[in-house]
Amino acid sequence: MNASAAYGIEQLNVYAGLAQIPVPALFAGRGLDPQRLDNLRMRNRSVGLPFEDPVTNAVNAARPIIDRLTPEERDAIELLITSTESGLDLSKSVASYVHEYLGLSRNCRMFEVKQACYGATGALQLAVGYLASGVAPGAKALVIATDVALVDARAGYAEPATGHGAVALLVGADPGVLAVDLGAYGTYGYETLDSARPTPEFDIADVDRSLFAYLDCLSNSFRDYTCRVADVDFVRTFPYLALHTPFVGLVRAAHRKMMREAGRSTGAVEADFHRRVWPSLVYPAQVGNLCSGSVYLALASLLDQATPAESTRVGLYSYGSGCASEFFSGVVDAESTRRVAAMGIGAHLARRRAVDFDTYTRLLEETRHVLRPEADRRVDIDPYADFLQPQRPLLVHTGTKQFHRRYEWC
Amino acid sequence: MTAPNPDRAQLVGLVRAVVGEILPGVPRTEITEDRHPRELGADSVDRVEIVLTLIERLNLDRPMSDFNDLPNLGALVDLIASDVAKGSPA
Repeated sequence: MNASAAYGIEQLNVYAGLAQIPVPALFAGRGLDPQRLDNLRMRNRSVGLPFEDPVTNAVNAARPIIDRLTPEERDAIELLITSTESGLDLSKSVASYVHEYLGLSRNCRMFEVKQACYGATGALQLAVGYLASGVAPGAKALVIATDVALVDARAGYAEPATGHGAVALLVGADPGVLAVDLGAYGTYGYETLDSARPTPEFDIADVDRSLFAYLDCLSNSFRDYTCRVADVDFVRTFPYLALHTPFVGLVRAAHRKMMREAGRSTGAVEADFHRRVWPSLVYPAQVGNLCSGSVYLALASLLDQATPAESTRVGLYSYGSGCASEFFSGVVDAESTRRVAAMGIGAHLARRRAVDFDTYTRLLEETRHVLRPEADRRVDIDPYADFLQPQRPLLVHTGTKQFHRRYEWC
Repeated sequence: MTAPNPDRAQLVGLVRAVVGEILPGVPRTEITEDRHPRELGADSVDRVEIVLTLIERLNLDRPMSDFNDLPNLGALVDLIASDVAKGSPA
């Protein structure tokens, strides 16, 4: 291993679907108490269309990154890991389809991981460690967090906070987006049933158990980080934070908890939150929870909103139900700002078409079975084809034939 | 702040006061031991805040997950009373 080399995220892109519903409209349609918008702090949430699934989301997130690579650079991707809690088959991975439609090398190692909303961070850390080990000089890795939403009215206030989409991370030795601090991490996990997807068609959640576990794990993974890294202070060490964001209000509570545990006065909390955390919450408040991609959506938001011009350390926290968590860190700078801005993530989010509540509930019915294995199925693109215009070429799911999922570029 | 070694009645008063702070619209007479914060209109962030505030004010060394399955405010008082009885600095 070259001790002076840096490894981390070379490129980051977000695909958050083609449709969104304003959260106040969803509240009104469901008869939810509008006073709770204050704590939820969500503006919009992405909504899936019938021709979108975990494969199309992943490919549509990664393709702009792949398109910027030379053929040699693309073939240097020797590792593809998809992270999803929206699996399509008990054996065949999402990665196998993604590998095909991104045109990656047949010498690329590929597989899928599952650990709820933590999976992509585990994959990123293993990819960084693998590349830093020096066993594959010049290699790159592609980590893609991809999911779809299944929640409906039964999920109560979780429904307006659940997102749809994917985040793609190109990982390598030119970490212009985030240079991961090698060896600087803290982990914490234990068995609990706070939320889960026991069948391909619905989610379960114990809200208090999940929120309390998120907060316990943040404190404990940060404590583990401080055991591995000298002279760490929650405020001074990290000028910015990007946290897994199930909904914005929880991140606000998490920040308050950590500030209390760091011995900061109550009066200092609000200004610190707006300075160090708020930039990371702008996109999550427009998308909803992207599962294991959530913390990287927060990182993209941070870079696009705060536009750091100097070399700056970011503290990142990933939590996945079940549960597993990690607090880790990396360094961003003006190049990070430039690379993420070039992806046009904010413009992509703004281009999503708003749907009304009636359309939203119709879409829920039409997309409810997207993960259910069916031998033969045809997906009719025409009713929603106008959502594809004038977007860049996008992969769409057209159906299944003998359980083989079919896709086309539109 | 609470007395150095609050008895159960004082802890009931503290819990009612904290719930009242987090839910200012709820009449204090409705904040009784047989109620769950959810029944009083507390959303998930409010419930987090109630537990966090009690942990902070009583300086409890206890994970939040211990508060998962409490059926009502009386059970919450019993849980924190057991800490105080064991000598947690209060």
